[in-house]
This record gives sequence, C-alpha cells and structure tokens, in this order.
Amino acid sequence: MSGSAPRHFLVGVGNAGVTVLDLLALNNLEMKGLLCVNNDPESLSASVVTDRLGVPEGDPSEAFLAIDGPFGDMVSGASSVVLCGGLGGESGSFLLPALAILAKSSGITVAACVGMPFSFEGKQKRELAASALEKLRTVCDAVAVIENDRLTGGSPSTAAVGEAFSLSDRTILAALQALQGMITNSGPVKITRSDIKSVLGVPGAVTLFGLGTAKGPNRLHEALEHALKSPLLTAPGKNTPGGALAGVSTVLLLLRGPADLSFAEVQVAVSEIERIAGEGCQIKTGVHADLSPDAPITLSITASSGGGQTAEKPKTTLLSEIPEAKPLEPAAQVATRAKAEPTPVADSIKPVSSAKPIKSTAGASTKGDKQSAGKQTQGTLDLDSYQRGRFDKSEPTIVAGEDLDVPTFLRKGIKLTQPHRN
Amino acid sequence: MANEQIFVGLEIGTTKICVIVAESRADDQISILGVGETPSRGVRKGEIVDMATVTECVREAIVDAEEKTNVEIGNVWVAITGSHLRSFNNRGTHTLPHAGQIQQEDLDMVQANAKEVALPPPNTFLHTILQAYHLDGNRNVIDPLDSEGIQLEADFHIVHGIKTRITNHLRCVEELNLEIEDVVLSSLASAQVVVTQHQKDLGVLVIDIGGGTTDYLIYNDGAVRHSGVLAIGGDHITNDISVGLKLPIARAEMLKIQEGSATDPSESEVGVITLKNDPGFLGCDIDRRSLETIIHCRVKEIFELVRADIENAGGGMLGLLGAGVMITGGCAKLRGIAEVASEVFDQAVQVSTARNVGGALQTFENPQYSTAIGLTKYARLITKDAQPQGMLERITQGFGGLFKKGGR
Repeated sequence: MSGSAPRHFLVGVGNAGVTVLDLLALNNLEMKGLLCVNNDPESLSASVVTDRLGVPEGDPSEAFLAIDGPFGDMVSGASSVVLCGGLGGESGSFLLPALAILAKSSGITVAACVGMPFSFEGKQKRELAASALEKLRTVCDAVAVIENDRLTGGSPSTAAVGEAFSLSDRTILAALQALQGMITNSGPVKITRSDIKSVLGVPGAVTLFGLGTAKGPNRLHEALEHALKSPLLTAPGKNTPGGALAGVSTVLLLLRGPADLSFAEVQVAVSEIERIAGEGCQIKTGVHADLSPDAPITLSITASSGGGQTAEKPKTTLLSEIPEAKPLEPAAQVATRAKAEPTPVADSIKPVSSAKPIKSTAGASTKGDKQSAGKQTQGTLDLDSYQRGRFDKSEPTIVAGEDLDVPTFLRKGIKLTQPHRN
Repeated sequence: MANEQIFVGLEIGTTKICVIVAESRADDQISILGVGETPSRGVRKGEIVDMATVTECVREAIVDAEEKTNVEIGNVWVAITGSHLRSFNNRGTHTLPHAGQIQQEDLDMVQANAKEVALPPPNTFLHTILQAYHLDGNRNVIDPLDSEGIQLEADFHIVHGIKTRITNHLRCVEELNLEIEDVVLSSLASAQVVVTQHQKDLGVLVIDIGGGTTDYLIYNDGAVRHSGVLAIGGDHITNDISVGLKLPIARAEMLKIQEGSATDPSESEVGVITLKNDPGFLGCDIDRRSLETIIHCRVKEIFELVRADIENAGGGMLGLLGAGVMITGGCAKLRGIAEVASEVFDQAVQVSTARNVGGALQTFENPQYSTAIGLTKYARLITKDAQPQGMLERITQGFGGLFKKGGR
C-alpha cells in the first residue's frame, strides 16, 4: 500500500452500517478510511461515502466471493479495522463476521460495534443476531454491543419507531468513534489494545456505553453528565445516571479535546467515575488533546458488565486457528453455521440481552459470580450518583483534583439516613 | 463638606448585596448610620454571572441605604472576592545613586520594583500591601522617610486577579453612576473590624465564610502575610443538605439556619427534626445526625483546605498565630463552627463581629456585615488626612485609582 493509504478503517456493513457511516461522513467531510459494504444497491448509491463495495444478491457465501478480493486489497496494510452495523438482518448477520474473519486473517486488529435488534423486530431476528454476535466475538479483538432495547428504556411501545432506530444509529456511531479513538489514540495518554480487549472481549457481556460533549467553562461536568445519562449507562429499572457502572471491574474513559484540556479535568472525570463504579474499579484513561482550540471536549465511557468467562482463553485458541485458514473458508463456515445452529447459540446469549437475570444472580451471588454479575448491585449510597446540585451549571471549584462542588459527604462515601416522608 | 466624613461600603455578595453608610467620628472610630440590603441574584461563588440582574440589585440596595440614612450616595468603596484572586509576597530593592535622605520617590521606586514580576497575562494587580522596610541591612524600619541610607528594601504582600473579572464586578457599580473610590479584597476589609491592632501584631488568622466564598488573611507583626480565596461557602453547605436529604434548596437553607450545626455528629444526640407539609412540599422527618454529618464534613473540609493552603505558602505561619483564629461572615453563625476550626487549626478560635464601631448596634453584631463595615473602616484609614496609624496600615496603591484616572 502507498504511504497515504489509511491505516485505520471504519467499515459500515448492511443498511444500518451504511447509515452510521453516512452520519459520520456528513460531519467529517475529510475523513479517510471509510468503507461501506452492503447488498442493497439503493442504500449504497445514496451513501455519501465514496468507497463502497456492493455485494451481489443471491446466496450470501457465494456473493461474498465477489467482494473478498477487493476488500482484502483495501484493508491490507491497515493497522485496524472497526466494523459497524446492525445484527439480525440477513446482510449484517452474515457479512459482519465474514469481513471480520477476512480482516483478522491478514493480521489486522479487528473490532466491531454492532446493534442488537429491538424485541419488536421478532424472535427470529434476535436469534440470528445472537448467533452472529457469538461468531464476531470469537474473531474480533473487541466487540461493543448496543442493546437497542435498553436505548428506549425497555419500553419501545412508547417510543416512535423511527426515532428508536435513529437513536440506535447515533449510539452505534458514538460507540464506533469511541472505539476507533481508543484504537488509534495517539496520546498523550493511551488506552492499550489489551485494555480494550479486557473490557470488550468478554463473551456474553453487556456493553455499557455513554458519550457526552460540551464546551465552556463547565465543559467537563456537562460532558460527564451527558455521558452518565446515556441510556446504556443507566441502571436497569432506575433513573440513576451512571448507575449501571456500579461495581464494574474496568472502565475505559476516553477524553478528546483541545490542547487546553487540563490535568485537573481528567482527574475529576476519573475520580467521579471511580466514585460511581466503586472501589476496585480500574479506570483506563485515554486522552487526545489535539483538537482545535474552540472544539468541544468529548468524553466517552465504555465498560461491560456480566459475561461468563474472561476473554483471553477462548480467544487465543480461536485466533490462532484463523491465520491458517484461507479467507474464503471461514467465511463459508460462518455462513453454514449461521444457518444450521442458531438456537443453541441464542440460548447461551440470552442472559446477556436482559439485565434482569444478572440482577437476580446478584442476590444469590456465589464466589464465582462476584466478578461479573454480582457487581450490578448498587454502590454504598442510595443517592443519585452524580450530584452537584445547584452548582451543576457553574464553573467547578477544583482543588487538588477534587471537585469541591460535589458534597463532601458524597466524596468521602459517608452513608446517611434518608428522610422519612410523613 | 459632611460627605467627606461619610464612607459607603458596598459588598456584592453571593447571598446578599449590602451597603453600609458610616461616618467617621472625632475619636477616630466610625459610626454606622444605616444599612441598605437586598438579596443577591446573579452572583455565584462571589463572582458576577448576570450583570444586568446584579446591577439592578445593587441599585435596590443603594436606594434602600439612601432612604434609611438620608444620605445621597455618590462614592463607594467596593469589596471584591473570587477564586481568580491570587497572592504572593515579594521584596523590592532600590539603591539610591548616592547616600542621602530617603525621599517619597524612593519609596515609590521600591514598590514599583517589588511589582516587577510577571503576572499571568490576563491578570492585574489589586493590592500591593506593605509589610516592612529594611534600610541598609537594618530590618523592619518603621518609616524610612527622611532617614539617611543607600540600600532601601521593602517586602510587600501582592494580590492580583483576572482583570476582566474585576472590571465586570465594578461595571455593575459604574452603570449606576457611582464613583468607585477603591476596590478592596474582602478579607482585608473584614479584618479591619474583626481584629484589633494588637491581635494583628500578635498574629491572627481571619476567616470570612460567606455564601459563595471563604476569604482568609493572616496578619503577623502587624502586617498581612498571606491571603486567599476558596470558592466554597455557605451555599455549598445548603447544597450538600439539599442533595443529601433530597430537599428543595429553600428548605435546605431554612433547615441549615434553624437547626444546622457543625458539631461532630459522633458527639451529638440522636434525634429527629420534623419538617411540616407545605404547599408543594411533602413533610418529612430528618435524622439530626445526618444533617450534622453533612454540615460537619463540609465545614471541616473548608478549614482543612485553608490550612493546607497556608501550609503550602510556607513560612510556618500557622505557628505564629499568637491571637489565634477569628471567624466571621454569614457562616460564622453556624453552631459549633468554632469547635471544628479549633480542632483543625489547633488554635484558640473565636467567632468575631465588627468591633470598635458605633451606631446601629444590631448591624455590627452580625458577622455577615463584617466585610461591608470593614470597607468603611478601611476607607477611613486610607483617607485620613494625617498618616494612617502606623505605617503597617498604609496600603500604598489600590486598584480603584486606576479606574478613577481612567475616566470611566
């Protein structure tokens, strides 16, 4: 590849993937390394992304033959490929794992950011999605899973269908950018790929993700507040911002902003997340301070909860197999497996798609559970986790890295007796 | 004119805007003629965030003071605070071309030399407060004027802040066609009335805890040694109560005033405070210990932060507080606050209000007026025809002069 070829690719797969990349391209006109892959010619022709690969209609595994060569050529020499799209549809469920295998076989770091179908889209779609997700997890270094049901607070009946899909696309986009930001981070503070793996490589885990953007003197707090209020970070069944983070073992925190992004701001974000996630939570921080001076800061929080086993073991065995396999064969395997055995796979994923089983295991936690499911319990305080009260919109008072507008007793973790309503 | 003997102090605080009209008496004391006051809106952490609203509030307070005292207010002394204010000590040196009597211009020169420091670009000098002169190695010369010497040195306590923020503070006053005599650091103003000259000589720490900020100042050997502003005040206590006990801000404020105590909750009795139903508010029982825990944590932290800042400034100043610690400002009325301060500073602590002031008694007995009353006392000291009492009180240049000469 020539020196000017992009080192990092973002690949939108299927209709959802193309929509997400379009959203990205419209806001970042000069962005390079975007590629759309779809079997819907209409969607491709309407896309603003210039690099597109059309998959012919027909049997997916045969059709894939038509693009594997061009795709391999495009990404060869790249350092990372981040795939995005929606699982559950025929195209996304097949193409995403197939492309991941193809890229992985060239020794490229592969991550994926995928949306799981809404419940109202039907059981079959969810099963297909679960099967595809498992395949993705075995191949990719990291998979961020956006549970669409959680975005609408679990009650899609009250959410407009169009708005729900649009929210899903926007969330996938935000997670995609965060994931890419972490992978391509040029510093000064970096999140390593093994950090990403440790969070997003956990099979069966629910991805917790939030993004906030803000400008002005109180930008850190506002961005943090937006991020914590993201639906995926809200504790299931509660409106506590950032509540879902309580008890997670690792949080990836990525901050991007202008050069004046201060150490104190980073520290405040870290200590705030530490407070919410509880003691024992490791926070892996990445900081980009290379944006233009008037750019807002962007803060993303990524974590995962639940999940049965650690990522490393199954992955190393599987990944070691892949380079030996020719690009075509695993793709064909994927296709056959996707059709032949969706149900047992779906069963193994089921607890992931709903937060309830996780909570119930928390109650009857065994020692083995403590690392994962048990951590869904509330923190030490039954208070809204992010509280600056009347100082919410004012310039923060930060001394020695502590945000003094947050009540002292909260920062010290002191428990209070709550008022008894008459 | 009688007006020459009348001084008006204006404090634009986070909780209230207060105008004190005082006249100087023959016995060198000041006598309060009246107080104009209005609740403050548009001020956060001691700094102006809504200029138009603050200007209107200042106008109301001035009108209130004029009505109560029958004095037409034209000139005011304004207190200033805010987390942007910083301070440091610096020594200026001036060598006379040849041995001779020290002239006023030599004193000016040594002060100018002390200010030859690079401030951050947006900042400007607010105060250059004289600490001591040294003449040819003779330390702590009270008044070197007309003495013979070659090498003149002087130590100053220098306060500076972000110019635009100071300007905004003053613009609210200028909009009302009031002339600003000078701008005075809040803690410096408060100290004028809450501590005596004797205490300043012995060494004293003055802590003024207001609604939005905590301002502190250390005197030793009669001179200002350190000053600081922490943008934490009574509003934070109220907010903590509101967050912790899930009460509306107004309810939390009332609870703080009526029942609040900074006492260590482990030493207090278990009890319940019943808040009655109100329109829009469902009554509840509050655990007294929880309330005290919230307040104690915050108050203790404020004192710990002040202590840490003083320790960081070096010079072992906390060991030189012969007269202990004086607490003033609205929060000084909080029960048990002196005990917490005493524990943190390991010093004798007193809650202090304005002293050696005559006139409306209730006014100067309330610590929340210390700054505004202090402004009038400060004004009295600065404008006295004769030299101020002792050279240590002489504040050689203030910020307000710049504004007057600037023709604004």
